[in-house]
Amino acid sequence: MQPIRAANLLPEGMTKVEQTVRATLADVLGISAERAADFTATTPLFGALPELDSMAVAGVLTELEDRLAIVIEDDEVDGDMLETFGSLVEFAARKALV
Amino acid sequence: MTGGLDIDYYDWSGGREAMLCFGPLRPRVLLALPLFEEYNRTRTFAVTLLHMLAGRGIGGMLPDWPGTGESRAPTDQMTLAAIRAAYRALVHDRAPIFAVSIRSGALLDVGAPVVARWHLAPQEGAELVRELERQRSAEGDVAGNVIAALSLAQLAGATVAPARVLRMESDPRPADRKLQGSPIWRRAEPANDRPLAQILADDIADWIATCAA
Repeated sequence: MQPIRAANLLPEGMTKVEQTVRATLADVLGISAERAADFTATTPLFGALPELDSMAVAGVLTELEDRLAIVIEDDEVDGDMLETFGSLVEFAARKALV
Repeated sequence: MTGGLDIDYYDWSGGREAMLCFGPLRPRVLLALPLFEEYNRTRTFAVTLLHMLAGRGIGGMLPDWPGTGESRAPTDQMTLAAIRAAYRALVHDRAPIFAVSIRSGALLDVGAPVVARWHLAPQEGAELVRELERQRSAEGDVAGNVIAALSLAQLAGATVAPARVLRMESDPRPADRKLQGSPIWRRAEPANDRPLAQILADDIADWIATCAA
């Protein structure tokens, strides 16, 4: 997949965050690991995946909090962060890898 | 009637509620499903698990709580205190009972005179309330349920009792056993997972045998 870049992040930490986001999307949306494995940084999410409705978004955010031991405030959640797989990974990495 | 399924009732101070009963009377588990949205996502799985337990000679009860399922109590009057009271009454009436729960179902067995407790991915009240508030801001209400303000305030401070704890591998919190696979309670669309149910049925059967030894 295309590399996802965020400032000052260790590559191995970034890989772990990306795997976690990928697995969380697969688990919450009930999509196959193969389909989730095809997600790239530019794969559109919110508005493009029919499974990803507002309740599913709540599930994804809560599960990411648990798995990455982070806290996501409501005012941090916007369309940009959920626009693509890459933007969600980058958001999660900024939270998890500080 | 091993492997069978009956509908039964139990009484508590606030009324009478229905429950599904599986398998023999002893040993017997009371299965507490999660509250709210995750209830619907785990009910089919729970029934599968209870059938498998019956096949291992372990009976099961899957009750409605006040304000849930077929209960005549209105949903918006559902409170944690009422559900815990119903739980205690049921356990008292049908003792000895082993407590088995999924997610926030772990909040219900507190204070009940059960033989022992087994919790799958237990969720504390504060975590549940945080999730409810996130869902509520997304949907206006939670899956059509108007949640009583009193219920939320009670839930926020609610904790779970010590138990044998199982969690999914993806969950970093401590557990007595970690499980491979996907958390079914997270699925946006309800699903079942028979291989996971087999693993849990074996774990519960071993746990009950250990408690009895």
